[in-house]
Amino acid sequence: MLFKLLFYPGKVFNELSIEDKHAITTVPRFLIFVLLLPPLFSWLGASQFGWRLGGSEPVFLDTTGLVVFGFFYFSILAVGFFGTVYISRWMATTYEAKTSQSLHFSLFTVVCAPLVIASAAHLFPDVFFNVLILIPALIWSITLLYRGLPVVLGISSERGMLMSSALVGWLLVAAVSLLGICVGLWINGAAYVLGV
Amino acid sequence: MDNDKQQFYYDDVVTRLVQFSLIWAVIAMSAGIYIAAELIWPALDFGQFWLSFGRLRPLHTNGIIFGFGISALMATAFYSVQRTCHVPLFLPKLAWFCCYAWQVCILLGGLSLLAGWTSTKEYAELEWPFDIAITVIWVCFGVVFFGTIANRKIKPIYISNWFYGGLIIVIAMLHIVNNLALPVSIDKSYSLFAGAQDAVVQWWYGHNAVGFLLTGGFLGMMYYFLPKQAGQPIWSYRLSVVAFWAFTYSYIWAGPHHLHYTAIPDWVQSLAMVMSLILLAPSWATMINGIMTVSKSSEKLRDNPSLKFIVLSLAFYGLATFEGPMMAIKSVNIVSHFTDWTVGHVHSGALGWNAMITYGTFYFLVPRLVGGTLYSVRLANIHFWLALSGAILYILAMWAAGVSQGLLWLSIDELGQLSYTFNEIMASMTPYYGLRLVAGLLFFSGTVLMTFNLFMTIKGRQTVKVNPPVVLASREATA
Repeated sequence: MLFKLLFYPGKVFNELSIEDKHAITTVPRFLIFVLLLPPLFSWLGASQFGWRLGGSEPVFLDTTGLVVFGFFYFSILAVGFFGTVYISRWMATTYEAKTSQSLHFSLFTVVCAPLVIASAAHLFPDVFFNVLILIPALIWSITLLYRGLPVVLGISSERGMLMSSALVGWLLVAAVSLLGICVGLWINGAAYVLGV
Repeated sequence: MDNDKQQFYYDDVVTRLVQFSLIWAVIAMSAGIYIAAELIWPALDFGQFWLSFGRLRPLHTNGIIFGFGISALMATAFYSVQRTCHVPLFLPKLAWFCCYAWQVCILLGGLSLLAGWTSTKEYAELEWPFDIAITVIWVCFGVVFFGTIANRKIKPIYISNWFYGGLIIVIAMLHIVNNLALPVSIDKSYSLFAGAQDAVVQWWYGHNAVGFLLTGGFLGMMYYFLPKQAGQPIWSYRLSVVAFWAFTYSYIWAGPHHLHYTAIPDWVQSLAMVMSLILLAPSWATMINGIMTVSKSSEKLRDNPSLKFIVLSLAFYGLATFEGPMMAIKSVNIVSHFTDWTVGHVHSGALGWNAMITYGTFYFLVPRLVGGTLYSVRLANIHFWLALSGAILYILAMWAAGVSQGLLWLSIDELGQLSYTFNEIMASMTPYYGLRLVAGLLFFSGTVLMTFNLFMTIKGRQTVKVNPPVVLASREATA
């Protein structure tokens, strides 16, 4: 199933669309990878190589810092994922799409799969290297969202396009909120030495 | 009066303004691409002053805002005000004067910027002869627009006209006050304001140019063309009117958030921050109104590429109008200010909102103006994906660059000294600037495709003559 999830997402979308029992029970199990792998990769990379923000010296966090960072990362992913599923189900009523929770869980697990694999870039936590790997993965994920949403949720591709665009709007706002929250934490003394 | 005899809407001037807008988009985006490349390879100025970043950058911003943006706004305002008032344009010759005089003014103004004439005020760099010319043309624009409204055949003034009207009145006020200056020669003047007052006036102008031109003006475009394309009335007309007044009241206070942690009084900064946060409410009310209007018209997307642009523009509008108030919070601004995050924010609005809504409108408008079909729907669909990927890549690259910059600027060592020099930080930005250049090229190539597509649609055709409809007696405006 993992192989199919990554290389044949179209088939997974079709199986989900007919509410195939195997797909509907198996796909959401991969959520555990979505939530755990990126913080794990980040932990390993940050402890071994340190974060490179563009300056000459890498930034190493102590053990407490690594724990806080890892927990924060996991929490953000969990809140982001469940929040997106919640928003998607809420929007589904407007766009007359299926509202089944397991379908929405499965859809976003498939959509997130490229990002989870690309998060292996955290093993070498250079900001630009990560940007370079994660942006194509993000574009692929957005493509999966536009392709998969109408199939899985049983609406026309045109209506799916509208709902996907509304979700992209939500995801962009969530991403920039995350930036704002991070900056707020940094300014208030979390993890990094800033002259403020 | 000319328009009393005229039986048809004056749409020739609309077609011409759309053509000028497209030309300015290509010119000004080319300048943007070039300066993005200069940030990676500074030698691209070839030692020529007129090719330097400092001179090309205002050409890029003025070309986009005043060339592409205002030509598009004039075109759509002239088109929609006739149809929402059911009368031809008031003083059509004056409308033609606005059309050509504006292009001459921006062309000569652009050349003057390359020659080094500058008032040094951001988005108001043009020197005093151009400021006077802009004022005269703008007043003429207002006369045509409000004259048409005064002649209207139906009583209600549709919401798009409120936004266009707000654009005309507020921009006139901002432009005149901010450009009050003492000329000392043909190419140099000095502002009447000095020091912190000059800064406050400048950002009162700068931020409200963003507000009433790049937001309010384009909302006027959205409120007319979105329901038209969706074939639905606006989801909540009442919400649109409430949002207009809330938007108009709150925006005007927000300018000093550009001056956080400067010499202006602290309470002015805090007031601007609070008003910026309040601004989120009317901005999102409008976004929700747009999204709900289009949500029941999905079948229109099947053969209508233009609606895709408008739908996506609303998503980016939501992003930009959330990000702006967030960046106005002082504790966020301390990191984001003076970084490329600001550049990313501006472009999430400019590429994602302003350009996309204009593209969607043009794809709808041009075939109707000339009574034909779009030359190539396939090219328009390719354009959509180029625009989306270009805008997303641009924003993400600048977010990453900006946050890194913000942290590096503020990073201190154990002795309390800055950890990194300016040069070190800028050198580390080169890869992000490479990504930004790629993003710009993607977006620009889409714009070139659209320009070709629309010019081929217009080629060999005349603007069609459209009659104003008969107005029911119950809807007629009374004198």
